[in-house]
Amino acid sequence: MSELDLRPVPCTDDPDTGGFWEAAARGELAIRVCSDCGQVLHLPKAYCHGCGSWNTAWQVVAPTGTLYSWTTTERELRPGFVPPYTIVCVELDDAPGVRLVGYLDGRPQLESGMPMSATFEVAQGGVVIPQWQPA
Amino acid sequence: MTTRDLDHRDRCAIVGAGRTDYSSRSGRSVLSLATEASLAAIADAGLEPNDVDGIVRCDFDVVAHNDLAHALNLPNLSYWGASGPGGSAPSGMMAQAVGAILSGQATTVLVYRSMNGRSGFRLGKGRLQGQAGAIGGNGSYEEFFVPYGLVSPGQMWAMLAQRHMHTYGTTQEQLGHIAITCRERANANPNAQMATRGLSLDDYLSSPIISTPLRLPDYCLETDGACAVVVTSAARSVDTDKPPVLIRAIAQGAVQGMQPGLASPALMREDPLSLPSVTVAKRLYQRAGMGPEDIDVAQFYDCFTITVLVQLEDYGFCQPGEGGPFAASGAIGKGGSLPINTSGGNLSDGYIHGMSHIVEGVLQMRGESTSQVPDAETCLVTSGLPIITGAMILRKAA
Ligand SMILES: [Zn+2]
Repeated sequence: MSELDLRPVPCTDDPDTGGFWEAAARGELAIRVCSDCGQVLHLPKAYCHGCGSWNTAWQVVAPTGTLYSWTTTERELRPGFVPPYTIVCVELDDAPGVRLVGYLDGRPQLESGMPMSATFEVAQGGVVIPQWQPA
Repeated sequence: MTTRDLDHRDRCAIVGAGRTDYSSRSGRSVLSLATEASLAAIADAGLEPNDVDGIVRCDFDVVAHNDLAHALNLPNLSYWGASGPGGSAPSGMMAQAVGAILSGQATTVLVYRSMNGRSGFRLGKGRLQGQAGAIGGNGSYEEFFVPYGLVSPGQMWAMLAQRHMHTYGTTQEQLGHIAITCRERANANPNAQMATRGLSLDDYLSSPIISTPLRLPDYCLETDGACAVVVTSAARSVDTDKPPVLIRAIAQGAVQGMQPGLASPALMREDPLSLPSVTVAKRLYQRAGMGPEDIDVAQFYDCFTITVLVQLEDYGFCQPGEGGPFAASGAIGKGGSLPINTSGGNLSDGYIHGMSHIVEGVLQMRGESTSQVPDAETCLVTSGLPIITGAMILRKAA
């Protein structure tokens, strides 16, 4: 069994968040938005707190962003993630204030605000996970 | 009825406080630790277990209220409650105790936190450690974090620290001053786990990185142990053994861009550096009729040094972004304008998920701390961040 096999995969069929993973399987990034007022609902949820609507849709956004922050982890915290590894937190170009995280091997050279682009990694069981790397 | 009639200012008091030894391997059940800390708090108040009619617990505690009621044999139990998530609980637990007493649902409430946090379930390895299969769903949102290796609150706080450094020029040395200050207080506290281990700035800067930019001394001490306090009305408190410590005010609060969960979702808020401590500080000072200038000593929730640094700003002791220079100025040390974490805190005394901060606040208000602040009459005590939080001001009875 390789380290990658030990890595947990996301639940992809949750009624609130499943659309994100369905889009990822198509090689797209999508965020949940209110169909009536346009409010971005992130983390994804079915009810719009902006206008009270339950009508929402998954809106495809550009797979690009800027680096908000990152951390390089030097200790093993969970099997499947061998240190050193780096977690990045990326703010989407198409949706300011909406962020997603990604995983990078090792200790890459990074700086706040640098452009990042999404890739689509096929994980265990064929689950597609959006990841981020310097553009 | 006026607003004053509805508020809780100075109407309840902490009359007993207790703790077990802290260690990395207690060799005892979490229930035994909870029982010992509770008995110590009840005895400290000069009461008997039978006097306790209310219990409030933390949602992460494996000891349920009825488990503890069984251990102590409390047939008069008439009120119980829980707060959370996790380290945000203690202020909420105290708020429930006060609410139960002022609404006539209980007279004497036991508030506790017990954990084998090192030898048993280590929160530092994440809430979902050992869980097999697909991660997340059901409103947990962990599918957006754990599959990426973001499993622990320390990694989320590390990213906030990195962003604070980027935005305000905060430095590692400034974080180091918080770790060193807590260690100095622990070095004066024979019960602290770090009682005999010093920490210089050189030691700090050469210590191992856990998750950049945070180093080992930036992290709290995962601990086996328990703390408990007994709360009653200010009127009844005059009959107890020790000088009562009044609860001047308590507040809990959220923040714009509310997020779910325990820690990682805070990164998804519109401005992750805007924390609920800002809301709570305003509400707390208003309820207390006080401001930061009235606080003599503070016990800040310190899961990580950066957590203290942002609270120095949020509770109004310095300007936003100035937490680093303030921490390095000596203000938070013994003899400074705002001595903090006088038992050593989570960082160097022991991590009891914020309950030890209340116990130390009580000791300060009685003049019994191992790093007693001379003439201290008020103590700010805060609970965990970053999703929601709470805080209280304790006051020496006149
Ligand atoms: Zn809407």
